[in-house]
Amino acid sequence: MPDQTSNGMQCHEFDGLLSDALDGVLTGSELDRFQAHARTCSACGPLFAEVEAGRNWLKDLTEVEPPVGLVNNILASTMGVDTRRLRVNVSATEPHVSWPAASWLERAQAWISAAMQPIWGTVRQPRFAMSFGMAFFSLSVALSVLGVKPTDLRQVSLSPSAIRHTYYNTQARVVRYYENIRVVYELESRVRELKRSMTPTEPRPNESAPSNDKKEHKNDTTQQPEQKQERNYSQTDSRIILASAPLGPSVNEQSVDDQSINDPSVVSVTTYRRIV
Amino acid sequence: MLIRRCVAGDAAAWEEIVQTYNRRIYNICYRFAGSAHDAEDLTQEAFIKMYRTLSSYDSSKGAFVTWVTTITRNLLVDHFRKTKQDRITDSLDATSSAHEDAQPLSEQIQDQSAPPDARVRSRELGETVHAALARLSPELREAVILRDLQDFDYREIATVLKVPEGTVKSRINRGRAELARLLQRTYRQVM
Repeated sequence: MPDQTSNGMQCHEFDGLLSDALDGVLTGSELDRFQAHARTCSACGPLFAEVEAGRNWLKDLTEVEPPVGLVNNILASTMGVDTRRLRVNVSATEPHVSWPAASWLERAQAWISAAMQPIWGTVRQPRFAMSFGMAFFSLSVALSVLGVKPTDLRQVSLSPSAIRHTYYNTQARVVRYYENIRVVYELESRVRELKRSMTPTEPRPNESAPSNDKKEHKNDTTQQPEQKQERNYSQTDSRIILASAPLGPSVNEQSVDDQSINDPSVVSVTTYRRIV
Repeated sequence: MLIRRCVAGDAAAWEEIVQTYNRRIYNICYRFAGSAHDAEDLTQEAFIKMYRTLSSYDSSKGAFVTWVTTITRNLLVDHFRKTKQDRITDSLDATSSAHEDAQPLSEQIQDQSAPPDARVRSRELGETVHAALARLSPELREAVILRDLQDFDYREIATVLKVPEGTVKSRINRGRAELARLLQRTYRQVM
């Protein structure tokens, strides 16, 4: 736009007042100056006419009606809600059809679904579904291994004594299960064999040993068979022996010296095990 | 209050917002995009965006309608940029919208005097102006739509378009003048 002065107004000033003039907010001398400039300026006069014509054309544009299902689609895409109320609204093309009020149940459902939507959307992802599936599978396997059956849960007593009893039972079952595993059993057997093979080289336990041994047995929770069963009575000293020496002088066995003991060929001893 | 209820998860409040603003947003989209199909999609997108960002609305920064319109306008500008490559720069004689009869603009104007019914004539005139509006540059078109079709004041338009009020006025005037020139040129061709 050429910036020329006409009737005391420049073209850029006219341009700034154009909107106000069309809106009818120009008054007094300012309006007079504006109108005078529009009449005399070769650029601004036609511009004013065009702008006014354009605005009048736009008045012919009336509001268009949105598509019938638009609101329903918006609500479905935002909240995932497709209420009966909205369906009625969509089908109600007649102006006299009134909206039925949404029931409290519908409102509650809508509220819950809106609240749960972000959580549900996350949970529905495949990776989460897989994780939940695996967790459920693991839990069911663990329960079946522990011998827990869903039908037993009905009869579960929650009293402290019952819980304690269940705990000890379960513990015992787990220990038994562990010790009955073939590998564990074989390893323990090997260890026992090794110990046994080392036993003769060790010095014999003194008198205080049996009491210690008893103590150990008391504290032994491994439930292993007692060593007693494997004891070789023929090698122990504590046996009672009835001996007779039919040949040779009467020899008091208590006074036999070390030499005669080391020579078994000269002494014939018959032993009888006392059966208790 | 309505917004606060909606942010708190009140589905009925959100439904009320949709009922209140869907017409306005659809009309802005329709006048800007030019096609009823695009307008429907864009309106839905605008509401989805609104639903997701509703908690970010600050009433101290402006009216809710301004915020809603800003979201819609940003979406329209994005849509315009995305479809810029695909758009055919057709002449004024090309058909443009689903609301129009499948008829060139000059033919619509030619037939303007023919229909006896004033309502039909008015509708066809509206379609002619709509087609001319679609030929304005996006900057001028959005300013004209907000002022002359949505009755926003200059300050609100300045907020939505993020430009000074003087620029808003200038764009509105240029848009109106350009529209008038387009329509006058078309009439001259017809005559």
